[in-house]
Amino acid sequence: MKFTLNWLKQYIDSGLNATELADRLTMAGLEVDSVEALCPDLDGVRVARVASVAPHPNADKLTLCQVEVEGEPRQVVCGAPNVRAGMLTAIALPGTTMPGGFKIKPAKLRGEKSEGMLCSARELGIGGEEGGIMDLPADLEIGAPLVAALDLEDVLVEVDLTPNRPDCASVLGLAREVGGFVGKRMTPPVAGPLPRLTGEGLPFTVTVTDTDCRRYAARLIEGVSIGPSPWWLKQLLLAVGLRPINNVVDVTNLVMLEYGQPLHAFDFARLSGAAIVVRKARPGETMATLDGATRELDSEMLMICDAERPVAVAGVMGGEGSQVTDATTSILLESAYFEPVSIRRTARRLNLSTDSSYRFERGVDPEGIPYALERAARLIVELAGGRLMDNGYDVVGELPGRASLDLRVRRTNELLGLAFSADRIAALLNSIEIATAKMDEETLRVTVPSFRVDLEREVDLVEEVARLHGYNAIPTALPAVPMRFAHRDAGRSLRQQVAAVLTGFGFHEAINYSFTSPAHCDLLGLAADDPARQLVPLVNPLVEDQSVMRSLLLPGLLENLRRNINHQQPDVRLFEVGKVFRHRDHATQPEEMMLLGCVMSGRRHPGASRLHYGEALVDLLDVRGVAEALFGELRLADRLILAADAVLPSYVAAGTGLALAVGATPVGWLGQVAPSVAKAFGIKQDAFYLSLNLDALAACEAAPKRFASLPKFPAVQWDLALVVADGVGGGDLLAAITEAGEQLIERAEIFDIYRGKNIAAGHKSVAIAITYRAEDRTLDDDTVGKVHERIIGLLESRFDAHLREA
Amino acid sequence: MDTLKLETAGRGLAPSLAVKTKCVMEDEILRLKGEATAALGEAGKEDLEPFRVKYLGRKGLFTSVMRQLGSAPAADRPRLGKLANDIKQELTQAFAARQEELGAGRGQGTATRLDLSLPGRVLPRGRLHPVTQVMAEVCAIFEGLGFTVAEGPDVETDFYNFEALNIPPHHPARDMHDTFYVSDALLLRTHTSPMQIRAMEREQPPLRMIAPGKVYRCDSDITHTPMFHQVEGFLVDRQVSFADLKGVLSVFIARMFDADTAIRFRPSFFPFTEPSAEVDIGCVMCGGKGCRVCKQTGWLEILGAGLIDPAVFAKVGYDPEAYSGFAFGLGIERIAMLKYGINDIRLYYENDLRFLSQF
Repeated sequence: MKFTLNWLKQYIDSGLNATELADRLTMAGLEVDSVEALCPDLDGVRVARVASVAPHPNADKLTLCQVEVEGEPRQVVCGAPNVRAGMLTAIALPGTTMPGGFKIKPAKLRGEKSEGMLCSARELGIGGEEGGIMDLPADLEIGAPLVAALDLEDVLVEVDLTPNRPDCASVLGLAREVGGFVGKRMTPPVAGPLPRLTGEGLPFTVTVTDTDCRRYAARLIEGVSIGPSPWWLKQLLLAVGLRPINNVVDVTNLVMLEYGQPLHAFDFARLSGAAIVVRKARPGETMATLDGATRELDSEMLMICDAERPVAVAGVMGGEGSQVTDATTSILLESAYFEPVSIRRTARRLNLSTDSSYRFERGVDPEGIPYALERAARLIVELAGGRLMDNGYDVVGELPGRASLDLRVRRTNELLGLAFSADRIAALLNSIEIATAKMDEETLRVTVPSFRVDLEREVDLVEEVARLHGYNAIPTALPAVPMRFAHRDAGRSLRQQVAAVLTGFGFHEAINYSFTSPAHCDLLGLAADDPARQLVPLVNPLVEDQSVMRSLLLPGLLENLRRNINHQQPDVRLFEVGKVFRHRDHATQPEEMMLLGCVMSGRRHPGASRLHYGEALVDLLDVRGVAEALFGELRLADRLILAADAVLPSYVAAGTGLALAVGATPVGWLGQVAPSVAKAFGIKQDAFYLSLNLDALAACEAAPKRFASLPKFPAVQWDLALVVADGVGGGDLLAAITEAGEQLIERAEIFDIYRGKNIAAGHKSVAIAITYRAEDRTLDDDTVGKVHERIIGLLESRFDAHLREA
Repeated sequence: MDTLKLETAGRGLAPSLAVKTKCVMEDEILRLKGEATAALGEAGKEDLEPFRVKYLGRKGLFTSVMRQLGSAPAADRPRLGKLANDIKQELTQAFAARQEELGAGRGQGTATRLDLSLPGRVLPRGRLHPVTQVMAEVCAIFEGLGFTVAEGPDVETDFYNFEALNIPPHHPARDMHDTFYVSDALLLRTHTSPMQIRAMEREQPPLRMIAPGKVYRCDSDITHTPMFHQVEGFLVDRQVSFADLKGVLSVFIARMFDADTAIRFRPSFFPFTEPSAEVDIGCVMCGGKGCRVCKQTGWLEILGAGLIDPAVFAKVGYDPEAYSGFAFGLGIERIAMLKYGINDIRLYYENDLRFLSQF
């Protein structure tokens, strides 16, 4: 809602300057969005009279004007089509800097002297779309500064209204609030008793057939002459961002802003049957609205019709066929109350939001309707002439009544933490025209004024008390609550633990949008029956790339990888912890799963000095190491199973994938992203990925922390080198050793794998160090030797291996 | 060893082998000590290693002498052995001192000086996303006040996101939420407030809870991303007042920003609170003087709050006469922007390492 300070002043003299006013409004819950001086710096722009106009000798479209400002008339070259002798207009004298920064200088235009420039409102930054130079009222003083002559010095204030305060979508409503905090009452332009409208003896009929129209008042004005509005009205409308149209339409707009009551003016001659019928649209009916569009109507839309057809979408927009034109002579003026939900529904359905629908949707003042009508009718007669018929229609149906609410003093104080008396509370409410009657010291009976549609319950009044007293004046306390241990969510703890481990490994955390591109499924080469294809689509996405909920974290992280590579950061370790979504059906919330995704690419030690750590690139064992260490930290390492033979999605490069399970519970996978997939995402370097389902992981029980005594006797380490076929897994050799059941074996570790000279083709030598220790004695060579021999024998027979000759 | 033998023999000293050996050995040890001490005194940096090899090394002169002790008379051996040992130790210490004096350093026999100007051997850690960091900070403050953390679904029902929060269909307040719809009944939650309802349906007062999470609005420009993070908090008990709300939020703001951060509460509107408030803090950029960030007002809006509307209690079956409570909600991205001076909200979701590694 926009208004100007001068406008507000017509109804209340607050004595506040713009900054004070803005601050008070904001602190009263009417948040001021902007305050701006309305008139640009126009020093040097004066009122001028065009004494004569003659053609320019050297240009068809220019004229030579003799202009009176002060002293001798001066010659000005003008290109405006509307220049005429005798008119008053605005001149920018040489030396003036125009709002755009252009400086006016004496000049010669096509050989003719020009001392100054005749200006349009637009050029001066004080008007919108009008063509031609300003056509000023004849009673202005010639030579006077334009700003003073037109009283242009004003301040535009924009208030960001909350939806509960339609009463303040009007200058009068705001004036009432201002009155509350300066202790005055605003004076509306129309007060006192209004003529009783009975609908009798009128040359037209009004019939309301639908309960969504709760009140319909109409007056007829005959013999108007349509023309442009006077300067002050145009100026006011332009200031608040409305386009002046003609004197009648402009008045309806002005009164809408003044009273918050949208009005509509029909060209009476174009209402078939001289009838207004308020009804729902009939199936198949259409109507051309004022904006030139043809609207398909449905049977829930409330329409204003004449005897034959719809002439306006009630409360939303008028129809083209009945609009006021230059030829109009009789006006039927409408002021009504329409059911808010009905208007909102229609506006939504037609995708039409107007100043009118905004107010009706939120609720206009049902008792303000005749006042707004009277104000507009009088103003039209004043500006457009004509005769207002004494009688009119005021069809009143079931209206929201003035609620009567009991406000408990104790309850108010309890909820706010105050200790106010009934009288103090009453005074606050009375300051904005809310009437109260004190029933006893504990109870106020409050009559809610009709314009405050938001006050329906006791608690709404409690808020008014708080608001009028000022939130910042309410004391500050801390609640006395029972001491209690806050329950901790296991899933959240797990996520925090995972994040801590991964940042320790040099991974940065990424957060991607939960919505993504449906094209990712194909880029990943997902099989037709892959569950990740069960996408949850959005009905109204902003862009195609964000039109489905993600079903995997991988695509987002691959896009992050590409972005970083493209920005010259090819060494990437990123992880994301976030939800993915799987469609179930349209009525059911989708499945939401919490996943972890980790991507590694580029150098093994990103961000670390190459001097110290070299340039080696990550490979599969790096991502496997991350997984193993992570499971170690989660105390799940003992039950972690990495299976190379599991079936993994095709976006995992063949022969690189390992499925991860904790016991029998599958929890994820790791592997290299298939190069074809990486390429589809614009990535040319190897990328490795770890995917974990954190929901599944949270359900796994971590091994408890248990102390084991430190060994008292030394360990001995014996090495062996086995030659085995290439296909034998090194890890399998280790597993065979540790699973052999030998009590003395503490640990086995591969420390070298060798292929080449002295090793048969298709074979490799695997060097293993075995650590032996007994709990109760120092081991001697004989004892260790026997176990070592048994292990060698076991490996030789199980893996077809033989000891490498020294 | 051979050199020493030759030298000793060449000098042809005392007749008694025993005496000769004793004297020769003792003299020899002392002579060696003198020679080595002198050499060490004159040694430059590059002489140190040859010195070490010649006198103190495994095959050096002192080792040779000590090996020869076996040929000394048994009675003299302990004394000579101790003498040789003491001298060797003395020399070793002198060598170390000389080495240090020359700044030659020890280890591996290299004479190269350590380059102390080189960077250390660091394996950099990763960082949590700034949103996660701020979220954790917010949650920690409220957890410290005894609030439980609860989470809910991102894809919500119209009921939990709107209706139960006193926003019926066709309510103009729906205009405040640019909603992404999944179907007629399902949507991406526009706030984390639905957790109020889910929690109150499940539990009876007293309740203290915060609900962090992602929320969605179909709005995208320089100051809005279509997804962002919010923390909703609420407390329900008997006799909870607006003054309590002010107190808890003041504690929060003092912790999150500065103890002397200016705070103001001003009236606003949310369908699920009554009275409703917006909470502003003194602009952290300009200290309240007015700047571009605070639109010259000196204030920054950071929280929405209010007493829980009785209509919400009615939806979950709480008696609004018996219980009251407050609720609040705040946007994490905005707070992170203010705390860290981030000037473009879009940076949050590009996941550029140059951004992520700053926090």
